[in-house]
Amino acid sequence: MHERDRTSDSSSLVTSLMKSWRISSASSSFASKKPSLYKMNTTEPNSLPSSYASSARKDRRTSDGNFEAMAKQQACTRRTSNSNSPLRYVSPTLSTASNESPRPALLLRQHHQRHHNHQQHRHSSSGSVNNAGSNGTDPNKKSDRYFKDLDEDWSAVIDDYNMPIPILTNGGFGSPVVPTRSSSRRSTSSSINSTSNVGPSVVRNSSSSFTYPQLPQLQKEQTDDPKKMQVEIENERDAQELNSIIQRISKFDNILKDKTIINQQDLRKISWNGIPKIHRPVVWKLLIGYLPVNTKRQESFLQRKRKEYKDGLKHTFSDQHSRDIPTWHQIEIDIPRTNPHIPLYQFKSVQNSLQRILYLWAIRHPASGYVQGINDLVTPFFETFLTEYLPPSQIDDVEIKDPSAYMTDEQVADLEADTFWCFTKLLEQITDNYIHGQPGILRQVKNLSQLVKRIDADLYNHFQNEHVEFIQFAFRWMNCLLMREFQMGTVIRMWDTYLSETSQEVTSSYSISSNDVKTPVTPTEPRVANFATPTKDFQSPTAALSSMTPNTVEDSSKMRQSSLNEFHVFVCAAFLIKWSDQLVDMDFQETITFLQNPPTKDWSETDIEMLLSEAFIWQSLYKDATSHWL
Amino acid sequence: MDTNTAGIPTLTIKLVLLGESAVGKSSIVLRFISNDFTESREPTIGAAFLTKRITRNDKAIKFEIWDTAGQERFAPLAPMYYRNAQAALVVFDITNEQSFRKAQNWVEELHEKLGDNIIIALVGNKMDLLTMQGEISNRAVNEDEIQNLCQQENLLYFEVSAKTGKNIQEVFQAVGEKIPFPTHNVGRTSEHDLTITDDQRIDLESTTVEGARETGGCNC
Repeated sequence: MHERDRTSDSSSLVTSLMKSWRISSASSSFASKKPSLYKMNTTEPNSLPSSYASSARKDRRTSDGNFEAMAKQQACTRRTSNSNSPLRYVSPTLSTASNESPRPALLLRQHHQRHHNHQQHRHSSSGSVNNAGSNGTDPNKKSDRYFKDLDEDWSAVIDDYNMPIPILTNGGFGSPVVPTRSSSRRSTSSSINSTSNVGPSVVRNSSSSFTYPQLPQLQKEQTDDPKKMQVEIENERDAQELNSIIQRISKFDNILKDKTIINQQDLRKISWNGIPKIHRPVVWKLLIGYLPVNTKRQESFLQRKRKEYKDGLKHTFSDQHSRDIPTWHQIEIDIPRTNPHIPLYQFKSVQNSLQRILYLWAIRHPASGYVQGINDLVTPFFETFLTEYLPPSQIDDVEIKDPSAYMTDEQVADLEADTFWCFTKLLEQITDNYIHGQPGILRQVKNLSQLVKRIDADLYNHFQNEHVEFIQFAFRWMNCLLMREFQMGTVIRMWDTYLSETSQEVTSSYSISSNDVKTPVTPTEPRVANFATPTKDFQSPTAALSSMTPNTVEDSSKMRQSSLNEFHVFVCAAFLIKWSDQLVDMDFQETITFLQNPPTKDWSETDIEMLLSEAFIWQSLYKDATSHWL
Repeated sequence: MDTNTAGIPTLTIKLVLLGESAVGKSSIVLRFISNDFTESREPTIGAAFLTKRITRNDKAIKFEIWDTAGQERFAPLAPMYYRNAQAALVVFDITNEQSFRKAQNWVEELHEKLGDNIIIALVGNKMDLLTMQGEISNRAVNEDEIQNLCQQENLLYFEVSAKTGKNIQEVFQAVGEKIPFPTHNVGRTSEHDLTITDDQRIDLESTTVEGARETGGCNC
């Protein structure tokens, strides 16, 4: 496995990623098995920027080796964050230790590179990629040394993977660079200061037009004596949390407020890391491509779509339109069974709304029709948009208040319309999941198994030995987008990211004028291949790519597929591998039972964010490889 | 672990539940497994897997149950679950005629694909909903028709209520008795048997309802 050690000036994100995991692992378990875990093979000595051309194959090979270890490492990370560890997410800027820290730009560049896997990017390997160096004490130098000392053998592989990663700042218990306590504190305060200066410009700090979601960063507090510092850490954490929330809100304000054209890319990027509750309804509508980014058009657009929905209802429930009894009946019996644990969905008014939305959608999409599970998918939209009608202080009560008590009929109709259209937009992207035979789901399940086979061969082989078939547990994961596996709150957080991952295409069928109401939109009709460029300011990643890379066509088709469904497979993979250590000791029955009821009841948003980050990393690493076997 | 059944011969029965959506398949299983009932359960997606041990004389029977989703769209998945099954519960709602038609289809499909290699119990659920208004019952399925089907297709027949628990244990008990105890078939090492049984009271007594009355009357 350890062919040779490599030295290179270029450090990379993967390096620091591995390092992050290594640190967290070392600190959590004080494991003594470092070398075997971290010394990964580098199959090519000079796999530096110049060798991008051959990178895909190489990526796969090296990463196979690497990821066996990574998967295990993740488990460690998971536990660490579950226990009383200081390992946690903070907003990117918060953890930026030094004023001159390049992180915002860096992250942008990382995102940028995510779409440029085949491009040459020599500048990307500059020494500024020092994610672990935020100790407040000359981070660049420190971290450079840090990398060199420990991970030279990594450098050679690195430049082929360019993606954002969870970043562990402030070293860690196991870090060889042990800054003093005061320096760590200083870093925190300076980061806050710096944010106020840098903050607003962060989103525009990009030299490139490619922006992609930043990952939440892992922050590990520096301390020599965990027990003694615990209280202090917690206080600091609370303060940081608050700060980070405030900052996030203002960042969203910056993007949304007083703009004629909302920068969709900025929005996508920032939303990937979670959307503040007060912004969520409008941001979701923007992300899914419902609300126009041109704010001047929004009002009239909403009016039109809401009217369209109402006309659609009127038409559907009029006498000239015969009721599709089986569909109506199926929806009728499923509505009371939708989120039965949440009071909101027991209110008659809510049930009636959902029934109308689902029925109208079903008869307009006869190729799939109503399929159990999509009743789940409509609820995050409904619930989120409902918060628009509540005063901010009561947003958290949305699941217990009866909407009919605080909404007019007109408002209910608007809410239904918005929910209907966004739901429609979402399902457009995953149509194949619900048409006859559910090919989309079968494909995803297959992809998942192939992915796990490569990422975690032990688990895969164990499943084979125990005759556990992926479809036996993963069918539901795909059919309901993991909604059954998590509580609603975490699902909604997850959707912030998912909706940021939705592709930008606009289908021709989207704008149904009231005249076309009789023409059902069949989900099987081919999607329009080109990306939307809603405004001239907005440039979709692919469109921008096209001006630079030769293989535009290929990329664009890949990009198009690699939206929600593909990302979801990676999330499922990360989710499954999370339990790998436990699963390999289980027999068939235990495995299925466990996976049907995974212990996620107490999952926080942080847990979900960790999962999404892991998925993002897998996707970044396997994206190109997957085209060969997915 | 399962101290009750450890060391005694265990017969493992793979059982699949089929039937139209919302007839109460999952509720029947829940009642059987943990003697519980909830009014509104999320529709099953794909299939759910559950296990339960019961005793028959001095022997143990372990049910490995695949509770399938009822909606037509999921039907293509069903063969995966009934392929290796030794027993099937084909469930319908006795107040819903359509669900009985669907049950008939399932019985036909099972016999077509598996011949006589599967024990099939036809289960009419939701007895608790049966009400009499004078002479008129809201029973939607003709009893003669049920009886004909049972004789024709060689089915066990039970009318049950997952809500009240009526006849639920009896169905499984009867299915268990129909399947012979092969000498070589000893269940998997009890080491790894994470049977849900253990802490979830089989407690046959508590759920027994006035004998194992097979209301449909076809004692085949």
